Amino acid sequence: MSELRRGLAVAIAIARKDATSELRGRQAAGSTLFFAAIVLLLFGFALGPNAQRLAEAAPGLLWLAIVFGGLLTMARLHQLEAEDGALEQLALYPVDRRAIYAGKALAGAAAMLVLGGLLVPVVAILYTIPLGSAWLPLLAAVVLGAIGFAAVGTAYAGLTVRMRAREVMLPLLMLPIVAPLLLAAVKVTVTALGGDPLGEQGAWLQLLAGFDVIMLVVGAGTYGFLLEE
Amino acid sequence: MTDVEFVIAGYGVILGGIAAYVALLLRRLRIAREALDRAAGSPPPDAPR
Amino acid sequence: MKSRVLGFVALLAVIAAAIFGLFVVPADLHQGDAQRVMYVHVGSAWLGELSFGLAALAGLGYLWRRDLRFDALAHSAVEVGVLFTAFAIWGGMMWGRPVWGVFWQWEDPRLATTALLLALGIGYLLLRRLSDDPTRRASRAAVVGLIAALDIPIIHFSVIWWRGLHQGPTFIDPAKSLKAAVPMLFVAALLFMLTAFTLTWAWLLIRRYQLARLETRIEEEVRLSRINAARAAATAPGGAVEEPAG
Repeated sequence: MSELRRGLAVAIAIARKDATSELRGRQAAGSTLFFAAIVLLLFGFALGPNAQRLAEAAPGLLWLAIVFGGLLTMARLHQLEAEDGALEQLALYPVDRRAIYAGKALAGAAAMLVLGGLLVPVVAILYTIPLGSAWLPLLAAVVLGAIGFAAVGTAYAGLTVRMRAREVMLPLLMLPIVAPLLLAAVKVTVTALGGDPLGEQGAWLQLLAGFDVIMLVVGAGTYGFLLEE
Repeated sequence: MTDVEFVIAGYGVILGGIAAYVALLLRRLRIAREALDRAAGSPPPDAPR
Repeated sequence: MKSRVLGFVALLAVIAAAIFGLFVVPADLHQGDAQRVMYVHVGSAWLGELSFGLAALAGLGYLWRRDLRFDALAHSAVEVGVLFTAFAIWGGMMWGRPVWGVFWQWEDPRLATTALLLALGIGYLLLRRLSDDPTRRASRAAVVGLIAALDIPIIHFSVIWWRGLHQGPTFIDPAKSLKAAVPMLFVAALLFMLTAFTLTWAWLLIRRYQLARLETRIEEEVRLSRINAARAAATAPGGAVEEPAG
């Protein structure tokens, strides 16, 4: 039982450390958010100016922006330690690898949650989407999406952070994996905003949850192999 | 394009692709064996032939 | 050697199956000659999926046992898998254009899934190229292979539901087109080509594995000779350092 408590303590400590450096290095997190907002703006130029076309595309565009911003976020969360050689230090400690993974994934999910949460109003404004009662399923989609993306991103960022061409390898590896997450999140968003005639929202939320569980388990199980070199 | 041309394109690329890969593999195998012989002296007893 | 026999048998089988599917079997009533592409398309798709499944298991084997032979098997399986998956997509397109009227459409779940499979496989191969250290490369590849394999069923469900949970397909499902009231001859042609392809696949896998093992040995030799050369340079008379004790 104390194993579990120690693991939990480690995870929380790591998550807190990451959160602190995120808040301190405010430029980095803020820049990512700003980048995602610019992406949304550019989508407007690419697909506009017809308001209806943009409104129909909005759920997809929202999640694309979250994914692109998310890639930068997940990379950033591993870069700091890699540059200082802290990852090797971390790997030397006799601590459960899964706790390290849990901490980093927690930090990643929190960062993604903030990113997603802030992009929703941006989309609502840019593409004129009334949110109304849609906020609850939207919140669920953002939470589940954030967890899933962070679960995969933590593992893959740990994998690519010391590689050549890591800037392209992380997106290249992650994007096919998160395709179903993107699909499901967009579907939940669409049904939340535009009505759910087929009653499929529940199924998509379940798919998101399933994705999260599977990726968290695999990520935790394999992270140790990525740390030891 | 009639249907037949798609069938030819389909079979041609797939079967031709397999043949090309086979040729490539055999060539890479030959090059690798020669490289190993050079690098390590005589081939080790369990080298595939 | 046994693999040579396998190779010749596979070659003959493929030729025979191709002749059978192209000339012996009659054209489909509705799809015409385009139906014949199915025989190579389905076989390719099946082998692509089999390859990636094998690769994931081999990667797991590496993580468990740390035996680089598992890694060699995984690498070989993915490379062969990418080949057949690319063929499957090509076959799908060559069938789709005459039958659907378009080379690509998003409502067919198999096509979308296969495209993602190809992307995952190519990502795996690129990952390997960018890693130099053999054990690090093997670990990374194994993790990526495992995560990709576990993602496949999720992709599968999401793409099938994508069309709408209760909606029927607008485009003909290629798999269904084969099952619905199909003459035995069509099934025979499909199974014949499937068998021939599987034999070919097995041969390719064996050869690719041999190549992988050879290349690992060459890598080791190169590394050893580099180390020896560096040592020689460092400890030569007039060199930088004394030979360290022990």
